[in-house]
Amino acid sequence: MRNKLILWFSVLLLVVLIAFMAKDLFTSNDPTDKNVYEYDLNSLREVDSKLVSHKESKQIKINADEIHAIATDQNDQIYVGTDKNVIVLDAEGALIRSLKLRQPASCLTVMDNGNIVVGMSTRVDIRKPDGSLRNSFVVKGERTYITSIAVQDENIFIADAGQKIIHHFDMDGNKIKEIGGENQEEGIKGFVIPSPFFDLLIGRQGELWAVNPGRHAFEAYNFEGQQISNWERTSMSVEGFSGCCNPSNIAMLSDGSFVTAEKGLERIKIHLPSGDFKSVVAAPELFEEGTIGIDLAVDSNDRILVLDPVKGLIRIFEAK
Amino acid sequence: MKKVLSILSLLLLSIVDFATFAQTQRFPRPEFESGYTQPVTSMPAPRAGIFALVDVLLLIAALSLITWFIHKKRSRTGVVITSLFSLVYFGFLREGCVCSVGSVQNVVLALFNPGYHIPLSALAFFVIPLVYTLFFGRTFCAGVCPLGAVQDVFLLRPVSLKKWLQKVLGLIPWIYLGLAVLYAATGTDFIICRYDPFVGIFRFNATFFMFAIGAAFLLISVFIARPYCRFLCPYGVILNLVSRVSKNHLSITPASCIQCKLCENSCPIDAINKPVEVKQMEDKRSATQRFILLAMIIPALMIIGGWVVSNFHENLAMVNSKVRLANELLHFDADTMKESLEIEGFRTSGKTKEELYLESADILKQFYYGSWILGGFIGLVFGLSLAGLTRYRYREDYEADKGECVSCARCLKYCPVEKA
Repeated sequence: MRNKLILWFSVLLLVVLIAFMAKDLFTSNDPTDKNVYEYDLNSLREVDSKLVSHKESKQIKINADEIHAIATDQNDQIYVGTDKNVIVLDAEGALIRSLKLRQPASCLTVMDNGNIVVGMSTRVDIRKPDGSLRNSFVVKGERTYITSIAVQDENIFIADAGQKIIHHFDMDGNKIKEIGGENQEEGIKGFVIPSPFFDLLIGRQGELWAVNPGRHAFEAYNFEGQQISNWERTSMSVEGFSGCCNPSNIAMLSDGSFVTAEKGLERIKIHLPSGDFKSVVAAPELFEEGTIGIDLAVDSNDRILVLDPVKGLIRIFEAK
Repeated sequence: MKKVLSILSLLLLSIVDFATFAQTQRFPRPEFESGYTQPVTSMPAPRAGIFALVDVLLLIAALSLITWFIHKKRSRTGVVITSLFSLVYFGFLREGCVCSVGSVQNVVLALFNPGYHIPLSALAFFVIPLVYTLFFGRTFCAGVCPLGAVQDVFLLRPVSLKKWLQKVLGLIPWIYLGLAVLYAATGTDFIICRYDPFVGIFRFNATFFMFAIGAAFLLISVFIARPYCRFLCPYGVILNLVSRVSKNHLSITPASCIQCKLCENSCPIDAINKPVEVKQMEDKRSATQRFILLAMIIPALMIIGGWVVSNFHENLAMVNSKVRLANELLHFDADTMKESLEIEGFRTSGKTKEELYLESADILKQFYYGSWILGGFIGLVFGLSLAGLTRYRYREDYEADKGECVSCARCLKYCPVEKA
């Protein structure tokens, strides 16, 4: 009796299986079905409020058609590179002066002596604090596109997203060397830069940090061009970076932690010097969806200045 | 105990293979919290020439070895060892591809599509088991086919099926073979591979649907021996036909049958034919009448089958992606319906609707003729099955059914007769 039951159950199951396979073969999916390949980021845009370490304390409206870059100096003055000029503001956002540019600024940085170094497509202008031109030079190369500049003493490091390389120049515009090109002997894989976001900064020990966005990695080099450190965090969760190329922009806090800005999932985060995730500064909900080119700067009080190019604002975040 | 060891080794192998599989990612896979699951690669990487040759040589070696175990050594243990090897190599390591079962479609596509060059290894995997079957019976099914081997491992409590039920279910592989040939000939799909219940398990990448189907087949295998081989496998149908005329098929007894009946219930797939007494022999007159009747019924069944199936040729053609897309486009109303991915893809391809409709009409025509042939084939199979049921076969001894027997060698150890 039991065997008979097992037998008929097995036969029934077999027939059901074959029927299922036939149904699958002959019936097509409902065309109104949800697109299973859809890249749905909505759930990833939600951030646990416990992870948020900063609050927005101030917004400064910038009167410009386009704003591209932000930097601070030792006196916490704020410099904003726009499509037409460099706007200099005091720490509270009051206008100090405006310097006209020959081309839209793509990036800028301020030296310890107050000189302003502005990157514009393929050209670098070095302006004195009063706005007069100290030097100007062009970075050669058919595909050159300058996205970031970092300065240490007399050394200017220029991130070239087009050629996927860092150029090392002196103040007079003489090229010293190239850094970060693929070198299998030294184990350097090269920069992967699918979009024009390739940021640099000088670390606390004077080392040069570069983002390798296609690898979701940070790489540190000495001035001889040797890689001395790196870390990488690929993840769809808040602990890492995702998409083709992130983070898009970076800055550094006084304790050596990295502040990162991402595109796709527009968010600002802090990563410890080891690369481990520390906290969220600004969740994606604070930005318009599709915002790209969020630049960052940090002042002497570790206030994080976020340039929001869609809203035309400098947004200042302070620790809670 | 042997069963337990077999299952344990299968599980161990799964773990080892999974570890290798997990190491192949260059970047960690992104974790999609939205529930999105990444589509998996459905085919293993193409085999380099030398390795394809190794596969073919191993197939020949495994077939030779198992044939030797069955015919010379009469050893079930040898069959089990070869089965485990095949399961490991052709199943898990080669990820079930290339397999003889699916190679039927490669051969059909090569015959109907001059632009398709069949890989030599696929051709070899199709032909070599047939050659062995022609000489030695279905020794390939016994333990070289990984699909058969995996089911055999799970056979723990075999129960016997009624003869009529076996006959009815036994028609399914013929229909499946017909459909597979139709879809391969029209370049529509390789449905045998698409619905291979075990290949996803071998590759550790089965969709939930196919994993459930595979698991259910294995569950059935615990009680009904080799359900896929017997009631679905299209290659088994071809081997069954070839095996019927095999020169040296497995014989239950090594010498003369002493009618001890010990082997009577030893076959888990009920492929042992019992002796038929002389007095049951049919008289000539009745046999002639039966022959005339069948000669009329079979063509009628073929025509009816062809007519019925040809009426469904449009439904059959819907499996073809071009026909399905043309149909979808024809009924698409941009005001009330949401555009599907397929339509969106078509729009961006630059092709005109008219071109697609013309191609689709051509394919439909192929399906019309193809479904007549398919229907006729199904009618013929029904007719011949009917004829097989009514035909008288005189038999003195307990014999393996040359078509159905998969040469698993279970029955051999039941025979007390010593080799002469």
